[in-house]
Amino acid sequence: MSGLRGAAAVVGIGQTPYYKRGTSPDSEMKLALRAIVAAAEDAGLDPAEIDGFVSYGSERNTGQKLMPGLGTRSLRFAGLAWTHGGGIPAAVGLAAMAIYAGQADVVVVYRAMAEGSNQRLQVAVTQDDTPAQFLANGIDMVLQRSAMRTQRMIEHEGVPRETLEAIAQAGYHHAQQNPQAVGYGTPLSHDAYEASRYISEPYHLFDCSRENDGAAAVILVSAERARTLKQTPAYLLSCPMGASATMGSREDNHEPYTSVGFIDLAKRMWRESGYGPEDVDVAQIYENFTGMAVGTMIDHGFCTAETAGDVLQLDNLVAPDGGIPINTSGGNIADGFIHGMGLVLEAVRQIRGTSTNQVPGAKLSMMAGGPGDSVTSTALFGSEATL
Amino acid sequence: MAATARIRGGIGADGPFWDALDAGEFRIARCRGCNEWLMPAHFRCGTCGSWDIGWDEVDATGIIYAWTRNHAVSDVLKERRGALPYVTALVELPQAGGARLPGVIVGDPPNLRIGARVRGTIRPPEERSRGYATMVWQIEDDSAPATRVGETEA
Ligand SMILES: [Zn+2]
Repeated sequence: MSGLRGAAAVVGIGQTPYYKRGTSPDSEMKLALRAIVAAAEDAGLDPAEIDGFVSYGSERNTGQKLMPGLGTRSLRFAGLAWTHGGGIPAAVGLAAMAIYAGQADVVVVYRAMAEGSNQRLQVAVTQDDTPAQFLANGIDMVLQRSAMRTQRMIEHEGVPRETLEAIAQAGYHHAQQNPQAVGYGTPLSHDAYEASRYISEPYHLFDCSRENDGAAAVILVSAERARTLKQTPAYLLSCPMGASATMGSREDNHEPYTSVGFIDLAKRMWRESGYGPEDVDVAQIYENFTGMAVGTMIDHGFCTAETAGDVLQLDNLVAPDGGIPINTSGGNIADGFIHGMGLVLEAVRQIRGTSTNQVPGAKLSMMAGGPGDSVTSTALFGSEATL
Repeated sequence: MAATARIRGGIGADGPFWDALDAGEFRIARCRGCNEWLMPAHFRCGTCGSWDIGWDEVDATGIIYAWTRNHAVSDVLKERRGALPYVTALVELPQAGGARLPGVIVGDPPNLRIGARVRGTIRPPEERSRGYATMVWQIEDDSAPATRVGETEA
């Protein structure tokens, strides 16, 4: 097992409200500051103590720009994890590595997005790196490529298309208990799902995540320091990032094609943590699109293509009693989408016991990064008892 | 038309692919050191280490490997809105080591399915293709609806 296992923990979480896309009253920079300061207050730390800054995707609100507003005493570590949503757990892992290596003591991982001050999706999310082979042929970096992969998963591998609706329903079901969620107060019925228009087959409108303005942040410190602070620590047990030999940037020539990139990462995570999918109490599964989340569940070993129809049923995916509750704040689809960063906060809340859809006694809380990214990452958080 | 680097995303080693389409030819990258087909094209063959990458002309035929019918597109593809709904696919090229190439499927064929055989034609540069000549694909009339790609002949 890795020396990194349990070496650092999340001790503070903070976020701004999720604003409807394009309606944030604040700039991205101010949103980032608000989320980071909120995370510091949650941890009982002075924001000036933060000496490490890590983000992912194309985050442009860098540590060096934030530090005058935070009163930073010394910026000792800064980094950006490749790639898009696939970089989220990797960013948390970078923070833990910096702490473990003695390069920083208080590291914030954050993401801020606002329509007014950044160009959406193509730049903010996908870094403007859609290859010509796709763009020239009317194929978007994320939507259509994901839709084609899901279509093959259904048509060729026999995964029931009802699994997509189950993922969407789980998010909306949990959002009804979370007053902060964008989907709060608007439950999703089977009929409404079925009746919603197609975006890119097999995806209906409700298979697609929402975009919001806002910011979210988590603060990590060493395990020793975490035990002296006021919040229940969420220890990082394992957080592998990467791509196996047949993955990486292959313009959909990766193998196996319907994998969303987690097969080897999950094996590393189970090995490094000493736990397996059957031990996980609750999971936040990044769903840009529902079908990609189905791929994440299969890659991690929660089910196979053959058993997906049995495992990925709404009753089994919801707190408090489901076998593997997912996206308990509503997820990207029904909570809100700050490039997936909200999922990290919810994974931590489950260890603290403070989720609005708490899984009773949750000790092992997983968070998977962006599925289908050419390099991605996944994380397992645990309570003190899991160390 | 100089096709290199008009779109900056991707690896950027596929300039000759677009130049070939402009010249009416369908060419796929292939390592001269070990004969491996390279999709996407790269500057160096990761299998044998050769920097000598050639471009072999291949038949414009393939098999639908995955597909989607698009009903809405983001602003990134706003030039395509007038053509909605349209079908895109990954086309498998058995004659190029099974390389998979993204492309538009012409029309809205009733026999659209994974495993269907397609034939390509080159469409001249358009605004909606960002100024690139593109290979578009038509399902072969005799490509009968089968059930699974694994059960088709090739
Ligand atoms: Zn070679």
